[in-house]
Order: sequence, then structure tokens, then C-alpha cells
Amino acid sequence: MIPLDRYPKDITLRDGTHAVLRPMIPGDAECLWNFLRRLPEIDKSHFHEDVDRLETVEGWAKSLDYESALPILAFRGDRVVGTVTLHRNRTGWKQRVGVVRILIAPDHRHLGIGTAMIREMRHLGEKAALNYLLAEVIEEQQSAVRALERMGFEKAAVYRNFVNDRGGHLHNLVVLLHPMSGLEKEMYF
Amino acid sequence: MNCPICGWEHFPAGGGRRTISAKGEACPYRGTAYTGLRAGHDQIYFGRWRRMDATSIDLRRACHQMERLLREIAGVLETEDLPAARSDLGKAAEALRAAGQGEEGPEALRYLDHALSYAHRVIGDLLHEKGLPPHSPGDFAGWYDAAEVPFREDW
Repeated sequence: MIPLDRYPKDITLRDGTHAVLRPMIPGDAECLWNFLRRLPEIDKSHFHEDVDRLETVEGWAKSLDYESALPILAFRGDRVVGTVTLHRNRTGWKQRVGVVRILIAPDHRHLGIGTAMIREMRHLGEKAALNYLLAEVIEEQQSAVRALERMGFEKAAVYRNFVNDRGGHLHNLVVLLHPMSGLEKEMYF
Repeated sequence: MNCPICGWEHFPAGGGRRTISAKGEACPYRGTAYTGLRAGHDQIYFGRWRRMDATSIDLRRACHQMERLLREIAGVLETEDLPAARSDLGKAAEALRAAGQGEEGPEALRYLDHALSYAHRVIGDLLHEKGLPPHSPGDFAGWYDAAEVPFREDW
């Protein structure tokens, strides 16, 4: 179990204002839905479900399981302005790989929220004794790719015309990996 | 390492308490968290070793400054539960070793730049733990008479 006593966590943004980071709780369904439905379509491409429906987000809120998906929300007052989720497998060959998905409200970009959230994921990934953090980003989202690279993620692959958005258009997918400190201890032949 | 602005030894083990330079300028790092680490980082970041006319002496000086900065960072990290930052500090030390303590050539410059980037990330983690924004050398560029700043916060 990852210790979560560091939350709620206050952060200062580049404009001097503040936001609060904390894990999602069941009562956050509506404010998360309001955040998701306002995102550009391309940001929602990776979701399997229709996140424009409140019922979808309510379903997530009722079945939160931090061991398999730990969503950290960024709040400005009562408004969700960003989310980052650490997805893990309890068993299987990828149990040491945490998948990171970050979303930032368009009117709150370039303020340092994404970078702060990546820092949280690096910390939580170390605490979870993961070997890697993995992020998948559509290639057009260059700000996200650069922020991830500045925080230690490295491009592992670019899959051309690999994913489609909700309009059916194909995009290149960039896969980035962040090796964690536990990796060297575990490597063996 | 004396602050180039006020001459103040910003690291905790340091000396003078002056916060005004001989020119009458107030030290821009005064009152900021992790003063010594930030000033130490920027002294390297804006150092002569990056310039086209840099000499091997400039590079050696930068390596010594980096060595000291990493030592100071290690001291601060002793009391913090930040495994990611510790890992980055290790990578910074590795990069500095690869820079070869003043060996000339583009490889040495590249490794020193890597070491500085890792150090910057650790400082960022320390500030983040206190709820503060990351350190941006660009905010202090005017004090170093720097022509340009290589990067800015993007996301």
C-alpha cells in the first residue's frame, strides 16, 4: 500500500497562485466530470468509456481502488484543474510498471501543474517499488512530451498512425519510460 | 562558494551575513528557500564554462562548483524522504564523474550539463515538498548578465 499521508498537498503555481493535490474520493464524481467534459477531444482519446457522461465518472467514483488506479486530482477551490492517475497491475509480467496518465485543463496549462503532478508520480512510483513509470502521449502534445522528458522520462518508442481519436483520425503515439531506482537492484539474467 | 551578487556564503556552513553587495544591490536569493542551493546552481548555470571562449580552467572550476553543490544537496536530502530526488542526485554524481573533472571536449560539457540538470531537478523536488514553485534560473538571469536562458517551464 502506498502511503498517502502526504495529502492534501498544497502547491504554488508559476503565477503565484495555489492549487491542492489529493487522491480522488467518491464525492469528487461531479467535479471530475465537469473537468473531463470540458477537455479537448484529443485529450480524451485514450478513454475506453464515454467520459462526457456523468454516469461513467460516477461508476469510477463508486469503485475506487487505489492499488490498481490511484487518481490524484488538482483543485483550485472547488474546481478540478488537473488529474494524474497511476495505474498498476497487482499480478502478471507488468506488475512493476506503473502507467501514468495526466490531463490538465486548457486554461491551466503552462503554470507548472503538470510538472508538479509528474513529481508526485515519481515519488509514488518509488514508494510503490515500481521499476518503471510509463507514459503514452499523442505526438502532437509536444508540451507534455517535453515536460515528461525534463522530469526524467525517455522516449522509448514512437508508433506511427497507431491510435485514433474519437473522430477516427490516426495519430502517432509516443511511449516514454522513467526507470525507477529499484530497477538496478532487480536486474539479473 | 560566495554568491556573485552579494558575496554572501549562501550555503548553511558559510560565513558573512551581508545581503547587500558593494554596488548596493540586494541579493536576489535572500529570503528564498534553499538559498545556497539555488544560488550555487545558478552560479554554474550562468558560468563561463558554457561560453564559446571558455577554457579548461573554466570547466575545471565549474566541475569543482558542481561537486560542492552536490555535497550540499546530499546534506539537505539526509533529512528528507525523497527517494526520487536521491536517485537523481546519484545520477548527477555519475554524470559529474563522467565529465572527468576538467577534461576538455564536448563530451565533458555534455556530462556537466546533465549533472546540472539532475541537480536542478533535485532542487525542484525539495521546493515541491515545501509547496513552492520550481526554481527558475531565468528569474535571476538579469543578475548574471545572461544573454538567454536555455529553457522555460512548459506544462
